[in-house]
Amino acid sequence: MIDFLSHYIYYIGAFGLIFIGIFIILVKHNLIKVIIGISILDTGVNLFLISVGYISDGTAPIFSSPDMKAENMVDPVPQALVLTAIVIGVAVLALALSLAIKLYKHYGTLNLRKIKEMKW
Amino acid sequence: MVNPVLLIAVPLGLAFALPLFGFISKRIEKFIPVLGMSFNLVISLLLIPKAMENPIIVSIGGGKPPFYINLVAGPVGILFSLIIAVVGLLVSIYSLSYIKKGATEKYHMLYLFLLVGATGVVLTGDIFNLFVFWEILCISSYALVAYTGEKSGVESAMKYLIQGAIGSSLLLIGIGMLYGLFGTLNMADIAQNIDSVSSISIFVPLVFIITGLGVEAAVFPLNAWLPDAHSAAPSSISAILSGLAIEVGVYAIARVVFTIFGAESFFLFLCFLGLLTLLIGEMSAFSQNNLKRMLAYSSIGQIGLIVFALGIATSYGVAGGLFQIISHSLSKALLFLSVGYIIYRTSSMDISSFEGIGKKMPITSLAFTIGAFSLIGFPPFVGFPSKFLIVQAALAKGEILFVVFIAFILIGTVIEAAYFFRVVQAIYFKKEKNNSEKKEAPIAAIIPMFILALLIIGIGVYPKLVTDILDSAASEFLKRADFIRGILG
Amino acid sequence: MSVHFLLIIAFGGAFITYFSGKIHSKLRNFIAVFISLVLVGLVAFFYNRYTQDAVYLQFLEIRLVLSLNTLSWFFAITITVVETLSIIFSLRYVKGKEKTDFYYLMMMLVNAGMLGIVLSGDLLSFYIFWEIMSWSAFLLISYNKGPALAAGMKYIMMSVIGSLCMLIGIVSLYTAYGTLNISEIASLIPSASSGYILFILILLSISFAVKNAVVPFHTWLPDAHSEAPSPFSAILSGILIKVGTYGFILIFYVIVGLKIFQGLFGFRSILLILGAVTVLVPSFIAIFQNDAKRLLAWSSIGQVGYIILGIAFGTSLSVTGGIFHFFNHAAFKALLFLCVGAVEYRTGTRDLNSLGGLIKKMPVTFIGVMVGACGLIGIPLTNGFVSKWLLYKTLILEPAPFLAFVSLIGTWAALFYSYKLIHNIFLGQLPEKYKDIKKAPFSMQFPVIVFSTIIILFGILPGIPLTLINTIVMSFGFESLHVTLWGIASETGTLNTINIFFAVLAAGIVSWLFFRAGKKSISVPQEDTYAAGTYIPKDKYHYTVDFYNPLYRMITPYLKDVIDTFYNWIARSVGKFSNVIRKIYTGDVGNYVLYIILFLAVLIFIQFGLKLW
Repeated sequence: MIDFLSHYIYYIGAFGLIFIGIFIILVKHNLIKVIIGISILDTGVNLFLISVGYISDGTAPIFSSPDMKAENMVDPVPQALVLTAIVIGVAVLALALSLAIKLYKHYGTLNLRKIKEMKW
Repeated sequence: MVNPVLLIAVPLGLAFALPLFGFISKRIEKFIPVLGMSFNLVISLLLIPKAMENPIIVSIGGGKPPFYINLVAGPVGILFSLIIAVVGLLVSIYSLSYIKKGATEKYHMLYLFLLVGATGVVLTGDIFNLFVFWEILCISSYALVAYTGEKSGVESAMKYLIQGAIGSSLLLIGIGMLYGLFGTLNMADIAQNIDSVSSISIFVPLVFIITGLGVEAAVFPLNAWLPDAHSAAPSSISAILSGLAIEVGVYAIARVVFTIFGAESFFLFLCFLGLLTLLIGEMSAFSQNNLKRMLAYSSIGQIGLIVFALGIATSYGVAGGLFQIISHSLSKALLFLSVGYIIYRTSSMDISSFEGIGKKMPITSLAFTIGAFSLIGFPPFVGFPSKFLIVQAALAKGEILFVVFIAFILIGTVIEAAYFFRVVQAIYFKKEKNNSEKKEAPIAAIIPMFILALLIIGIGVYPKLVTDILDSAASEFLKRADFIRGILG
Repeated sequence: MSVHFLLIIAFGGAFITYFSGKIHSKLRNFIAVFISLVLVGLVAFFYNRYTQDAVYLQFLEIRLVLSLNTLSWFFAITITVVETLSIIFSLRYVKGKEKTDFYYLMMMLVNAGMLGIVLSGDLLSFYIFWEIMSWSAFLLISYNKGPALAAGMKYIMMSVIGSLCMLIGIVSLYTAYGTLNISEIASLIPSASSGYILFILILLSISFAVKNAVVPFHTWLPDAHSEAPSPFSAILSGILIKVGTYGFILIFYVIVGLKIFQGLFGFRSILLILGAVTVLVPSFIAIFQNDAKRLLAWSSIGQVGYIILGIAFGTSLSVTGGIFHFFNHAAFKALLFLCVGAVEYRTGTRDLNSLGGLIKKMPVTFIGVMVGACGLIGIPLTNGFVSKWLLYKTLILEPAPFLAFVSLIGTWAALFYSYKLIHNIFLGQLPEKYKDIKKAPFSMQFPVIVFSTIIILFGILPGIPLTLINTIVMSFGFESLHVTLWGIASETGTLNTINIFFAVLAAGIVSWLFFRAGKKSISVPQEDTYAAGTYIPKDKYHYTVDFYNPLYRMITPYLKDVIDTFYNWIARSVGKFSNVIRKIYTGDVGNYVLYIILFLAVLIFIQFGLKLW
């Protein structure tokens, strides 16, 4: 059991964050909380990506000394992917927050259950 | 031989340089998208003959295929970039006079970004690159939906953003799982190694990726953002979203299902999903009073039809689905462009305010009628050969289940005919409410509508113009092994 | 000179007419009439030059073919002649209304579409022209606003459902045989299983039955024909519903072939029963209509019932009778609609309860209605008599007593409603407000005169069209009838119209002599009615209201229009169901995210649990 946990701890953490994020988006009424939920979801996904590339007992993928071998490093590709994904997440978050400001100006409330003018 | 990278690079450069042009003169900013898209159109047309023989592979970074990122400009890619270029060009001409208020240079920048994202999605051969361009497409569309700053626009954009963000995250999870299983991000490489993993573990990434892509592609339970977003956006953006963005989503699903996964067992599910989307979309459109919302639900219905056609997975089926994509892009763009000015003149989106407008804006109403008849599938417009191909594909499959499917699809067509005819009758044959003077849409709007109508009638009467490239595209999707061999060598 | 010139001139002419209308209306009128006459001339030119032309238009690997044979020629000449006369009639009828350019464009597009249908040699061009004709007719039916809009919607929805059934049939034929060329399919089909043939026949028949207004698909017709502008009603009743007949002939005799068709006993019986009901019930409904055009519309449904009986019955006499009745009904129904249109143009109404006594004011129109009504009933000396005679003869000979009885009752009803039409418009007292109306203008009288001449001419000399129809029927594989200039000779009784002509002439001369001999006749003015010595105020006592009241009370309980209510119920239910479906999109973004997650969960559970694929 502990063995299982220790192997997969990062995945469990990542999926935990993902589930928390989705739960927040599903359940919460306040728009800012939903945006925070999106942010947590993004974080969880990024964590998942990095843990895909984790190799046990590996070090950072930087040739810091001439006799470093590639077999000792963790996979650098997911780290590049995650950098991109973090930037994309930041952009989405910025857009979401500016939209939230405009939405508050129009509706006067941030309660998503009340912002329901376009339906059916 | 022209490099397909230019199809992405030049509009991207122009988009970033747009504010610099703004320093020279504020008035030339709106011509930059026109410039970029006409360039794309020319390059796509030049690339067609070469792309139909072998897919053109361009490697960014200079290595051989499974390493680095590569672009694949095969028949499918060039077909889609041609559609994107044509519709993008025509809508950018329309926007010359339609977009007057607000921060117009931001509109044009975002517009070019959207088209760059779409072109990138269809041309790429690497799955994470797909994700990046997908995000460019999505984020530009979130911002453009909210462009006018009105209540409905901001609300729709917010809801679209929330759902789109979840979709993208699911997509990224799926990509991560794929990477974990195969160690490579290149589509052809994954496709080659797909059989080496058991079917259970291959299924979970497929589900995540399909759900993630499906949010943008507007398949049934995932398309709740679409009616709000397409009805609240400015009409030129509605035309682009309905005509290009969701079709690019369907392309991505097709690429994943056909090429990467080759999941034969998934096709029947695609048929069911397409049918369900079609029926729900058409029925919801039937009960609408708001014209743009009606057109948005009609887009959902058409996407259902396209997904159904792709799910038939024979050469007629895929060719029919791709033809329906062409037909839907052209017709829906024409519909939204004409509706844009009608709404602008009558200041209301309700169908009852459209009564009698046929006399005051004759060319615009004629454009609407042509678009409506084409979407229903009447000869001699382009909707007819595409529907004919789809019916032929379904019946040629020979199973009784598909005959039942076709019966339901034609029921959907009947409902579609009902609500479009209601509007056509209201436009031409009802008495007008208020006596405003006869004022036609400006010339910058009439040119794209005229060219779209011409294309609709031309391809409808003479579908041979596009059937060659459609057949090559269909065989690219269906002959998976040849495709992989063509890329990896 | 090849056949596709006909179509190019027809379609091009429609658009030229529209654009010339922008220049000047007289130019447009001239071009419209000119192009219609050119089409008549071209079709006449093609007489006996039957050909099969391949148009090199590749449409999704299908080659489009135009072909002209006797059957096509016969239909084409009817279409072009009726079109020309209707357009001449429209010259005054639509003058001064709005959107006249659009009216002429649509009239000519409908006719071009119909020409294309009868000229097509493969099923794909058939379908294309069928659809073009359908939507042009829809746009033109909705031309008068108001109730015409609902009528147009009903028409196009039923037509679209029919066309889509036809599309499934056509595509199925294509996937089975790889070609849509009619002659090739005709040679390949006998090898198919009878179940498949039945399937294709039913699908295609649904579409043709909708267009042809066979019960139970007839409910669009009364509204559409009465609300359309009168010249277009003439075309609608005269030829548009007959393209359904053309379709039936095509699939029964050309494609499926005589032998197989005669073997399909069950299908034919159902069709015959439907034809009988179509003759019986609508003819009686027509008796009780108060709107002149609605009466004529219901009468059209009744008459096409005769045509269906003739075609479905499957003997050489019946098919000849059916095809000839198509031509005759085109002539007299177009004539009747044009006359009613002329009355409507002058008086502004078509309500039978308020018209009356127009016989002296519009004499040419009266003669037109008389001749048309005689033709409709089937009085000797008119062409209607010949076709009805053929139909009765064949129904009585092969004993089909029920069908013969029904057709005779149908004629009885035709007598009733024709007389109602004549009496309520022309006989009786002239209401005060119509005292000063003028005669119909010449451009309206001219088609009336031409049609009346055709009716009487082909009544006396039926041999002219009958030889042509004989060729058609022989090409289907029937044996030939002995057609002479004046009728048909057969072992069981000869129709010799020249004898009839001389008999009627003799009777006429005898009665005229009696009339001349007794000079004691006084002329009585029209307004002098006998009412036991009291003075009758003219406007308050109208003899035409509630014309057949006792009969009405007797029969009405049996004539409820359940089919129309049924279709309306279907349409309403679809509307209600759609209203329920759209509630899926509730407007609450949490719901939407829930849908996404549910979709994901369902897919994963299916894979792990149900193994659906």
